[in-house]
Amino acid sequence: MPKRRDILAIVLIVLPWTLLITVWHQSAIAPLLAIRKVCHHLVKEILIIPERLTIHRQRLADDGTETRHDTGPATDSKEYCSQDKDIVEVVRTEYVYTRPPPWSDVLSTIHVITPTYSRPVQKAELTRLANTFLHVPNLHWILVEDSQRRTPLVTRLLRETGLNYTHLNVETPRNYKLRGDTRDPRIPRGTMQRNLALRWLRETFNSNSSQAGIVYFADDDNTYSLELFEEMRSTRKVSVWPVAFVGGLRYESPKVNAAGKVYGWKTVFDPHRPFAIDMAGFAINLRLILFKPQAYFKLRGVKGGYQESSLLRELVTLNDLEPKAANCTKILVWHTRTEKPVLVNEGKKGFTDPNVEI
Amino acid sequence: MRMRLKLKTVFVLYFMVSLLGLIYALMQLGQRCDCRDHAKSKDQQISQLRGELQKLQEHIKTSQLSKKTDVPRIYVITPTYARLVQKAELTRLSHTFLHVPQLHWIVVEDAPQPTPLVTDFLAASGLTYTHLYKLTPKDRKLQEGDPSWLKPRGAEQRNEGLHWLREMGAAAKGKEAAALEEAVVYFADDDNTYSLQLFEEMRYTYRVSVWPVGLVGGMKFERPVVEDGKVVRFHTGWRPNRPFPIDMAGFAVSLRLILTNPQARFDGDAQMGFLESSFLQHLVTMDDLEPKADLCTKVLVWHTRTEKPKMKREDALQKQGLGSDPDVEV
Repeated sequence: MPKRRDILAIVLIVLPWTLLITVWHQSAIAPLLAIRKVCHHLVKEILIIPERLTIHRQRLADDGTETRHDTGPATDSKEYCSQDKDIVEVVRTEYVYTRPPPWSDVLSTIHVITPTYSRPVQKAELTRLANTFLHVPNLHWILVEDSQRRTPLVTRLLRETGLNYTHLNVETPRNYKLRGDTRDPRIPRGTMQRNLALRWLRETFNSNSSQAGIVYFADDDNTYSLELFEEMRSTRKVSVWPVAFVGGLRYESPKVNAAGKVYGWKTVFDPHRPFAIDMAGFAINLRLILFKPQAYFKLRGVKGGYQESSLLRELVTLNDLEPKAANCTKILVWHTRTEKPVLVNEGKKGFTDPNVEI
Repeated sequence: MRMRLKLKTVFVLYFMVSLLGLIYALMQLGQRCDCRDHAKSKDQQISQLRGELQKLQEHIKTSQLSKKTDVPRIYVITPTYARLVQKAELTRLSHTFLHVPQLHWIVVEDAPQPTPLVTDFLAASGLTYTHLYKLTPKDRKLQEGDPSWLKPRGAEQRNEGLHWLREMGAAAKGKEAAALEEAVVYFADDDNTYSLQLFEEMRYTYRVSVWPVGLVGGMKFERPVVEDGKVVRFHTGWRPNRPFPIDMAGFAVSLRLILTNPQARFDGDAQMGFLESSFLQHLVTMDDLEPKADLCTKVLVWHTRTEKPKMKREDALQKQGLGSDPDVEV
């Protein structure tokens, strides 16, 4: 009889506690598990979409032996779903035929500032630049013309691309464009236009808005890889990377130490500049631009090659720079220059119909 | 007796306490415990991701891809050679081509074998491509310091592209052969600039279609002159008496025409400016040309040329043995 009572007693003690513990665990862990599962599923879905598109394309091409596609390294969705990491960068620029890619609420906006001026190759340069930008999600193109009025050529071009854009203009005063005496009152080309774009950004966005943005200065004759834009998206203050064909070298790059910090510049032309880097070699977080509203490119008295420094030294120190492109070992942007076409056969009166736009 | 009583009470108390605790926990459950807060931001992100997924799926449904499966294919033949700006040129060219549906890129290197730079680049480009190579014989090759117009460039490579197309055409059967009947071939140099509209203009070519080219022949643009829907002459400032005074970028040929004329190829020994004519004269007369781009009044392609980057500092460093890392691909 005591035996039965004992068993009963033990059961009565153990039962509620087991129930309690099980139920408690369930309540705490279940939601987290659910989230994890959903997260994994969603990330897989989003990454699968480009694969589905590629497969679809493959079926269409139907060429057999020679076709080859690379869907990129398959990313483990664990990377995105771990507890401490932010879920960012889930939309990859691998799908084609969509122009431009749909606007994402998760990715930060890249504001690309391009100064431009009228010359025969202008439409060609802007066309191929637009063809590149049409692949980049969340890109906002700020095109600033060096002209008295916004030209119809550029207006039409921007409208037809379908990009998200802002069209501005400011004319560099003539005497600053042409003269080149010892005092050098010349304003480096594009300065006033870039400054106008910075001012527009400061007037349009206030520091309180949660709009995550990156500012990048892109000249209209350079060449940009799509990877570059994804590298710069994670900029916290100012990020830097190598640029090809500048400074008379194959490429110029920041010097990065083992701790991943920039400590110098690998250039031949004046490596002791505060920031010996080309305009295409850095990107700035929009918050920093808004935080320091007095920071602009210096207009006059800037020595050759010091223009970038005139802005950057008001924003960051060397220590704050974030090296990208695999710790500054990959080339993702090329400082190409387009030859000026020799229009000898046009003659004085112009051989071709001036109404045809080129 | 007292002991037993105490034990019994203890047990009863214990039982009551645990029961109460259980009830309390159950009530907590119903109230949504505060561990929810920790998961809230994740919840937000999940809903954002869900929204994006939905948008993306809608986008796929409405994207041009699903519509443009039955348009004629465009084969683009691009000769290329190793130089500093090669990767940059190919990169921005690929960005344009990625927007064009049903485009098959035939890249022919002027090299004895495929280079790793081009091989890796094409594999990562996301395009449908064929990678070929053909070395230009020494006597036909431009030497350092020669002006670019001295010898025709790319003739052997374009012929190699044509050869591949002819082999493929001969081997094709059934549905594939039917698709080739409508396909178009275009010769695109790697430093020119192409608008997206150009490819839609050339897509429906019966024999040879033509259009204006910007920034070529020493003029703002060269173009065929069209009267009554036919090409009557060419508006060009340089040697207008050539059989076809048109730039390589100014015409496209239907694949059918190429397959039915196996002898048509580019003459590598042709005089300056006669390369295009050496090919076209086998295929078509001026009368048969199809004018595109609004009867040849719009410029949709520009003959841009990229400057050779100045390497004087690099050269100086190389002499000292301090040149930039050759392992870094430019």
